[in-house]
Amino acid sequence: MGVFEYVWAGVLAVFLGPEAFSLFGIGVPITLVMVVFGFLLGIVIGATPGLGGPFVMAVSLPILISFFGFTPDALLPVMGFLVGVMKGATVGGAVPAILFNTPGTPDALMTTLDGYPMTKRGNAGKALRTAHFASVSGDTFSDLVLFTTAPFLAIIVESYLGFAEKAALIVLSLSFVAAVVGASPMKGLMAAFFGILLASVGTGEDLYPRMTMGTEFLANGFPLITAVLGVLIMGEVITSFEETWRDRRAARVQNQIPQSDDNSLSWSERKALLPYISVSAAVGTLIGALPGIGSTLAATLGYATGQKMHKGPVKFGDGTPEGVAATEAANSSVSGANLIPVLSLGIPGNVSAVFLILAAESIGGFNPGPSVFRFTTSEVNPELVIAFGLFTTMMCANILNWTIGGQFMRWVGVMSKVPKQVLMPMVFLLTITAVYVQETSFDAIFFLLGFGLLGFFMRKLRVPILPFVIAFILASNLETALRQAFAVSGGDPFFLFRSPISIVFLVLSVVVIVFFMCGKKDEAALSSEVS
Amino acid sequence: MLARKPDLVFAALCLIFALVCVLFWLPRDTETAMIEVFRRQISMGDAFVPIVAGTLMGICAAIHLVMTALRKDLYDTESAPVDSAAMAFLIQLTLVVALSLAVMFWAGPLAVELFVVSGSEDITYRQMRATYPYKLIGFVLGGFALVFGLSALIEGQIRASRAILALITVAILVAIFDLPLDSVLLPPNGDW
Repeated sequence: MGVFEYVWAGVLAVFLGPEAFSLFGIGVPITLVMVVFGFLLGIVIGATPGLGGPFVMAVSLPILISFFGFTPDALLPVMGFLVGVMKGATVGGAVPAILFNTPGTPDALMTTLDGYPMTKRGNAGKALRTAHFASVSGDTFSDLVLFTTAPFLAIIVESYLGFAEKAALIVLSLSFVAAVVGASPMKGLMAAFFGILLASVGTGEDLYPRMTMGTEFLANGFPLITAVLGVLIMGEVITSFEETWRDRRAARVQNQIPQSDDNSLSWSERKALLPYISVSAAVGTLIGALPGIGSTLAATLGYATGQKMHKGPVKFGDGTPEGVAATEAANSSVSGANLIPVLSLGIPGNVSAVFLILAAESIGGFNPGPSVFRFTTSEVNPELVIAFGLFTTMMCANILNWTIGGQFMRWVGVMSKVPKQVLMPMVFLLTITAVYVQETSFDAIFFLLGFGLLGFFMRKLRVPILPFVIAFILASNLETALRQAFAVSGGDPFFLFRSPISIVFLVLSVVVIVFFMCGKKDEAALSSEVS
Repeated sequence: MLARKPDLVFAALCLIFALVCVLFWLPRDTETAMIEVFRRQISMGDAFVPIVAGTLMGICAAIHLVMTALRKDLYDTESAPVDSAAMAFLIQLTLVVALSLAVMFWAGPLAVELFVVSGSEDITYRQMRATYPYKLIGFVLGGFALVFGLSALIEGQIRASRAILALITVAILVAIFDLPLDSVLLPPNGDW
């Protein structure tokens, strides 16, 4: 098969895959239904302060796996749903930021600076339209960069990197994430090594499962999804409980602000926004391609760049549409680019990517990484078809976003009023149930709560969560690469230092850590240290 | 960034944990050492990755300890990250969750014990776990207790509306998990 045949096979895998139902005699593919469902749910959740895309992805993953099973046919519907949620939540996060000065997601914080003043002036509708236009433009641009970059990067990685180089590359990625997420690179590194340590429990190649203290309880190790859900979601829920418990005045009265009759966004206004959107989209894509940095910093840099470009009568921060556009384009363009390291290197760079990797690992038949992009001509590479199917679902979600996303986004403003203290106990039970239906054992609930407490204390002690989670997920790949590299070298103790590429990666790992230890971090990085 | 004192305590605890792992726990709790030689074949043992990870964690903790000790502290005004209020909250949370999970685990078997009339032989919960209403008793009662208890804990008051919301939540979860999926076992049915 040639390149275009693979692309077409991916498109057909989405549109001619298993049917969900039939409409006027025409079969509606289940993957498409899941993308639509995920996208709409993502907008609703993104618009709900306290929740967010990663939460839905985390909780729905065990449910979806229970529903679709562990067959290759499950891959595209499940990943399509996750992609839909990711994109929907990115757009939805701007809603409470604009309407109520409450960012639905951390990266929407900068949107409040101009979005809420516009609402106070009676231009909420215009602000929402601007946010949607900028967000969907940035997201689409970022996806196009992903589609064109990831395959080439993967081919280069697969051609030039052996076992030792791949191990060194994982070390570099972990160092980078540890260094850039949070205020202290050393804490990030401690979290990453702790993640590797915990991931080692109950695994290994010997008959006796290591680090179990002789117990049956730990003999199978910590279930991957349970551990990740515990630290990311349960930890966040417990932290949120504690904050609400401390401040029981959470139920604030929101005053209705009268709105102007003309809240449309004309073509000339859209044209005027394009320079800001283009620059911010480029900034966001560049930042998104680097693992761990995240959309909060992208939004900050996009806003700062837009501020320098702006010459209009209304200043940034006083309620100008350019401010909303610069922020939203930057934070939305991170999501597609974040998948570049996932698909080309197999390394998740953010929380959403973590759940795509978990879905692929749980279901099987698709291992994100450089081996996916093998354009074999003699036989079909099913992983490559799935990869192009994934790209197709992303484009479907973008089309949805361009067409119905804006209107739906304006409808879900009511979600911003749902109080946190009502939602969080529901989330607690939902998370417990989702984990149980997959593991069918109370042990899984105990692991979940244990990892939840770990996540709570990590947040309290300002230890970044993302390096821990990514190290926990990559520990098995790292160990396999190290074992193979060591075996191939014939037991050479310096096996990681025999190749120039491997040495470069390892030196860069140290340089990145030292660089970020010496440099003072800004508030944007600090605010993203947990999320 | 944390204040200096809690950061020092955190780094010291991490260092001690890493030392205990590397010096005591890992060597005793892995079958093979870091490097294994078997019939002149050298391979990596099961202890390699965890010991390297533990050692590096210890080194990072030591560096963080030194750097924190040397740092000019601008953050000492910040309150302790885990204070007595946080601990009081965690204790109450643990009680609510433990009680709810206990109800979830034991309500079904208890109901079978009390209400199922057995003939000559004993009927166990395992035999009844696929039969309504026994299959849902634990989840409904435990789930309700959990959602309602947590709402009451974080709001500091008991409200009828929250009890209704808790019931609706449980009903929605039953509708999502139990009705469409025959193969799915709600808690605690997989354990019996």
